[in-house]
Amino acid sequence: MNKPDDKELMERCVKGDRQAFETLLVRYEKPVYNAAYRMLHNADDARDVTQTVFLKVYENLDQYDPAHRFFSWVYRIALNESINWLKKSNRQQALDHDTADQGDGPEAMASDEQLGEGMEAALMRISSDYRAVIILKHVLGCSYIEISEVLDIPEKKVKSRLYTARQLLQERLTQQGLH
Amino acid sequence: MAIDPNIVELINADIDGEISPEQKQELEAALAGNPAAQAMYTELSGLSSTLDELPDLDPPPHLKHAIMAAVPAAPPAARSDGHWIRSLFAAPALRYAGMFAAGALLTLSLVSSDQLSERAFTDVTGLVGTISSEVPDGPGIQITRIDRPEVAGRVSLRNSGPLLIVDFDLVSAGPVDIVASYSDQTVWFNGFAQLESPGASISAESGRVTMQIHGKRRYALFLRNASEREIAINLQFKSGDNVVYDTDVTYAQGADGG
Repeated sequence: MNKPDDKELMERCVKGDRQAFETLLVRYEKPVYNAAYRMLHNADDARDVTQTVFLKVYENLDQYDPAHRFFSWVYRIALNESINWLKKSNRQQALDHDTADQGDGPEAMASDEQLGEGMEAALMRISSDYRAVIILKHVLGCSYIEISEVLDIPEKKVKSRLYTARQLLQERLTQQGLH
Repeated sequence: MAIDPNIVELINADIDGEISPEQKQELEAALAGNPAAQAMYTELSGLSSTLDELPDLDPPPHLKHAIMAAVPAAPPAARSDGHWIRSLFAAPALRYAGMFAAGALLTLSLVSSDQLSERAFTDVTGLVGTISSEVPDGPGIQITRIDRPEVAGRVSLRNSGPLLIVDFDLVSAGPVDIVASYSDQTVWFNGFAQLESPGASISAESGRVTMQIHGKRRYALFLRNASEREIAINLQFKSGDNVVYDTDVTYAQGADGG
C-alpha cells in the first residue's frame, strides 16, 4: 500500500487525526532537527526549536494553505524559529567572535574532518539569511524552485544568494586557514 | 581577471545539478579556454562536496514522544482556548527554566506514607523553587542522563543541608514506574513536588518511593538525611514488568550543594 502523501496527512490532521500528525512528525522530525542544528550549532537549541516548530504546525493546522507544499511550510517555520532563537539569545555575535581566527594559517593542510569542522564554524560566521539558503540546498536537498517557495523569494534571487553565500563561506574558510 | 557572470551562473547551476544539457555544453566550452573559470569550478565543487558531506544528525530518541505528549488531544479548531501554544512556545517542554521563572502552575504534594506519622518533617515548600530551573552541572550535583526508547532525560541528586533533592526531568513514551530505593533506615521520605502536570501517582514506604511518569514530567523527590551520611539511592525504571534502566545515585558527604 502506498504511503499517504503530506497533503492527505494534513487533511486528516485538520480533522483531528493525531496519528496523521505523528506520521508527519516522523517524516519531518529529522530534516527539521538538522536544519535547526545547522542554523544554531547547538543540539539542545535544535531540539527545542524542533519541538516548537511542530507545536506551531499543530496549532496552525487550520491556517495551512493547501496550495503550498507541506515541506515548504514546515521548513519555513523551522528557519524562522531558528532565526528568532538566535535573536532572542543574541548568539550570532558571540559565535562570530568565538569562531574568528581559529586557523593555523593558510599554509596548513586540512583533513576532511578538519574541513568539516571548519565548515560548521564557517557556516556560523555568515549571516542567517545566507546560512538558511545553504542549509536548504545542502542539508535539506531542496531545488532552486523549492528554496524559492520556502523563502518566498524569486528563483533568480535564490541563485544569487546561494552564490554569495558560497563566496562568503570560502572567505571564512580561508580566514580559518582551511582553504 | 573577472569571470563572466554568465559562466559563474552556469558553474553554480552545474554544481547544484540544475543545468540543462545545452547549458552544460556551453559551460564546458567556456571552461576549456579559461583557467580562472576552471579554478573557480574546482573550488566551488570542493566547497559544495564538503557541505553535502556534513553529517546527518539523528534527533534525540525521546523528542518525538515529547512533542506528541505536548500536543493537545483536540485539534485547534475544536479548542476554545487558543492560548495554550503561547506558553509552550515560551518554554519548550524540554526546557523549563523560562516557564517556571514566570510562575507557572506548580503543585506540591505530600502523600500518605508509613513514614509520615512519626517523623519530623522539614518544610520543603521553600525548596520548591530549587526545581524552578534546569539543574546546572556543578560541584555537589550528581547528574545521570538516560537515553532509552522507553524513557529519556536526566536525574540529578543534590542536597540542601540534610535534605536530599532528587530531580527527575524526564519524558517517557508510555507509563514508566520509577522505584527509588535506599537501605539506610535513618533516611526518610520528606516530600514530593511536581511541576506543571497534575495528577502524579506516587507511593512511599520504608526505604522505597515509587512514582509513575507518562509523557514529559518534572518531579522532585525530597529525602531527609538527618545524619548527612553518604547514601546510595538505587533508581529502577520499569516499563510494565521490564526494568528498562537501573542506576545508583550517591550522595557523598561534604558535597553540600545547598
